[in-house]
Amino acid sequence: MEKDKTFTSEGNGISQAWNPILGMGIQDSELNRNCFFNPNCEDQRDLFESALSSIVSSPVSSHPGIPIPGSADCIVLRELIGRLGSICNSSEISPHNSCYNTPLNSPPNLNLSITDHQIQGNYHPIPPAPFPTDPGFVERAARFSNFGGKNESFKAAGLGDSMEEPSVSETGTKEKSTNRRKRKVVPKGKGKETQSSTTISAKDDKVVAEVEKGESDAKRSKSNEKSTEPPKDYIHVRARRGQATDSHSLAERVRREKISERMKFLQDLVPGCNKVTGKAVMLDEIINYVQSLQRQVEFLSMKLATVNPRMDVNMEALLSKDMFRPLVSLPNNVSPFDASVQPFPYGLQSQINGMIPDGPENQISMNPLMAAMHRNSITKPPHIDGFGEASTLWENDLQSVVKMAIGQDQPQGFHGQMKVEL
Amino acid sequence: MSPSQQPTSTNPSSLKNQFAHRFIRALKTLNHTKTGAAHDHNQMYRRSIRVKIASYTAMASVVGSRRAWSRAVLWKIIKRSRNQGLLLRKRKRRNPNPKREDFNPFRNSGQELKLRKLVPGAETMDSWCLMGETADYIKCLVAQVEVMKTLVDLYSIT
Repeated sequence: MEKDKTFTSEGNGISQAWNPILGMGIQDSELNRNCFFNPNCEDQRDLFESALSSIVSSPVSSHPGIPIPGSADCIVLRELIGRLGSICNSSEISPHNSCYNTPLNSPPNLNLSITDHQIQGNYHPIPPAPFPTDPGFVERAARFSNFGGKNESFKAAGLGDSMEEPSVSETGTKEKSTNRRKRKVVPKGKGKETQSSTTISAKDDKVVAEVEKGESDAKRSKSNEKSTEPPKDYIHVRARRGQATDSHSLAERVRREKISERMKFLQDLVPGCNKVTGKAVMLDEIINYVQSLQRQVEFLSMKLATVNPRMDVNMEALLSKDMFRPLVSLPNNVSPFDASVQPFPYGLQSQINGMIPDGPENQISMNPLMAAMHRNSITKPPHIDGFGEASTLWENDLQSVVKMAIGQDQPQGFHGQMKVEL
Repeated sequence: MSPSQQPTSTNPSSLKNQFAHRFIRALKTLNHTKTGAAHDHNQMYRRSIRVKIASYTAMASVVGSRRAWSRAVLWKIIKRSRNQGLLLRKRKRRNPNPKREDFNPFRNSGQELKLRKLVPGAETMDSWCLMGETADYIKCLVAQVEVMKTLVDLYSIT
């Protein structure tokens, strides 16, 4: 049968498969047969767009004449999506995973009733619209395939829906984790695809649902972009297939996605956490890192306490003046702390030798300091205040620092308390 | 480290510079008020604690009241100085927002609890804010450690 050919033949199958569905012939010149299978082709996006536009726009014109396709068309649809997605993934068109970064040019428009009736298998005509040819669609198509390909894992994740398995939902596809079911508007062209798939029988509802979810990705991404920039009314959230639809679980899911987004940012901060996935391991790493940083501060403060007494009054003046003077002559305006701490690896190695061979910049900045320090260590500190009580000493110290806080910053809720103390 | 994803008004180098200034000023004050060469271990220990508090205070004051953790740090220090003469009583931790428990039933168990104890002022936050505060706290801690390392090496060169 013609439909069997879709499995065997590669590029030809696609063009022929659409024919029985759409009931019209697609010009082969329009649909570049080899466009799907050129991973090295640089203009894949344009080819995709042209191919897809030809595919999708064709049912637009022949709308009333479309026969109701059989069950094999869903497979064709899945194949198409799978191939698009695999090629998209192989060529790595979308370097970034999240939906948020896709520049969506045209606001998509979809009649909401379409997706509502999809699952029930009804068939509603949509007024034709030009297909948006933006590169964002290709990435969305990639997500189509991910849904199609990882069907089982997705459904498992969807049915699980508990905090115990974030790894499944998060590592399954990154795009999934960035999905929010905020409904906005969707291209009417894409509505055509769903519409053509609405006539599929019940056993293929999976694909339909995935396609719908893939489209709602685009809706979400668009709505996300919009919701982050200008103030919107409120967030429409839609439940996924196979999940609870009450508002609590939806809100939970949105919340969890926000948290995972922040976890990704934390991954960049904590060194060596790029390969770690999963919230639990990530939290462990973060806790360890914070603890080690705090221990480092403690250790360094102990060291400072031991070496400090030799320091002189003028140290701070020296640091403020002499450090910035050689900085002007530096080719790049780098603070002395930046320049000197670069060779220090993370892990408590304060090697004095590491500072000197840093380069000419450091030597320039260090030399006046060294000279001053040598000079000043010989003379005795001029002023030694009386040895007061610990509390008063601490008060002075605290107040000096805290006054700086008031003077330079604008504390908001904090100000009242500060005033009382001072 | 660059403020790539989260918008922060202080980039790391200015953070370090400001922290360095304040910390050195605090150290200077500390140096003035103590006798030189305190060889007693106890005094050294107390001194090191003061230096540590000074560094945290300096960093928190640089950040100001923009962040919850810096507000918490400064508040804690003020309270501690208030209680200095008195006995330090253990404050009972109460949850001021009981209805927030519903957001995350796992909040007070496991690793998040550990993180909440580590990051100052993060006990009563929801998880999302906790992550943001942790990120900012880590950034400032790293700056703090770097400046202190430089200072230690500067001081120990003589």
